[in-house]
Amino acid sequence: MRFEDELIGLLPRLRRFARSLAFAPADADDLCQATIERALKSRDQWQPGTRLDSWMYRIMRNAWIDTARASKRRGETFVAAEAGESIGDAGDRAIEARVELGNVGRAMAMLPPDQREAVALVLVEGLAYKEAAMVLEIPMGTLTSRLVRGREALMRTLGEAA
Amino acid sequence: MSGEIDPEMLMAYADGELDPLSAKRVERAIAGDPQAAATVARHRALRATLARAFDPVAAEPVPKPLLAAVETPKVVDLASVRAARRRTRGWSGWPVGGAIAASLALGLFLGGQLDGGAPVTSRGGALIASGSLDHALNTQLAATQDSAATTRVRVTFRDRSGTICRTFATPALGGIACRDGDAWVLRETRGRTQTAATEYRQAGSDDAAIMADAEAAMSGEPLDAAAEARARAIGWRSR
Repeated sequence: MRFEDELIGLLPRLRRFARSLAFAPADADDLCQATIERALKSRDQWQPGTRLDSWMYRIMRNAWIDTARASKRRGETFVAAEAGESIGDAGDRAIEARVELGNVGRAMAMLPPDQREAVALVLVEGLAYKEAAMVLEIPMGTLTSRLVRGREALMRTLGEAA
Repeated sequence: MSGEIDPEMLMAYADGELDPLSAKRVERAIAGDPQAAATVARHRALRATLARAFDPVAAEPVPKPLLAAVETPKVVDLASVRAARRRTRGWSGWPVGGAIAASLALGLFLGGQLDGGAPVTSRGGALIASGSLDHALNTQLAATQDSAATTRVRVTFRDRSGTICRTFATPALGGIACRDGDAWVLRETRGRTQTAATEYRQAGSDDAAIMADAEAAMSGEPLDAAAEARARAIGWRSR
């Protein structure tokens, strides 16, 4: 399979990961765009036979950290309160899903970045602890402690809704 | 079996991350500890909540601009080419003499292996693109070509005399072709290292070397998409 085809196959998951990191849909797709550009630019660094998804997650995570740092410098906030509340004319199920994404997304957006990325990789993307630790280039113990703190914070924020 | 089961361990148990022995230990502990059992349940419920919230994003159709970003990347990254050139102490001009003779033998040898007839012929001692390669060089634009095309044109540029040159890559052969009258003269060819075992066709060191040589021969910047289209419209003539 071509590199491009495999990359396209990963886009739905990368968009999901982006939303769990960046929350506002426009920011999330910007993040996807930046990630794709970085990946194509450094595609020689990817070793065929290794997992492209892990490699892409790492690139996206690094792109997100860079963007987050830049916007922090500009004094912008991580949380876009209005995002996720635009309920179009979609069906009931879609509206429900969007409201849920709104609440959960806002709760995610309140987490410190190091906890948010751990939660996103393990609980949203379904990576094993070991895989997530490799993507984030941190020891397992660091991953589990960030993960447990992030989850406890989410449970508190979401309360009974969780 | 006594002693605290720490929060990390309960979480790891909820996620199915524990080895069987540790999992048994947690199971025994939570059997007599409703609070710990409730924590495990909440961990699992949270995972389900996050999945319900974010999974619909993965089910949405991918927006077109993102697909386009994969299929039509920016034509060339000059900075990385220049960096590669510095590393290899690149050419100051075109390879001549022996290099071309070696390329000729290589090109003709590889020619027979490609579909659509030999992509390279010899005319008056010069190596000329023919067949599928000639066609690709005449018609394909780097910015819009089908990404599945067997022959790919990478960069179009003018050398210092104003002649249009294009770097290309077929599965077996890469190089630089420059317009001379109605033909594309191959100024440089290199066999591309190919491993049949891998399904990924990635840029290798040969491509980097070609790019570095192109950069060395280039006058100014590579042609952008619009300039490339104009050059094609006037039959790739030099200025």
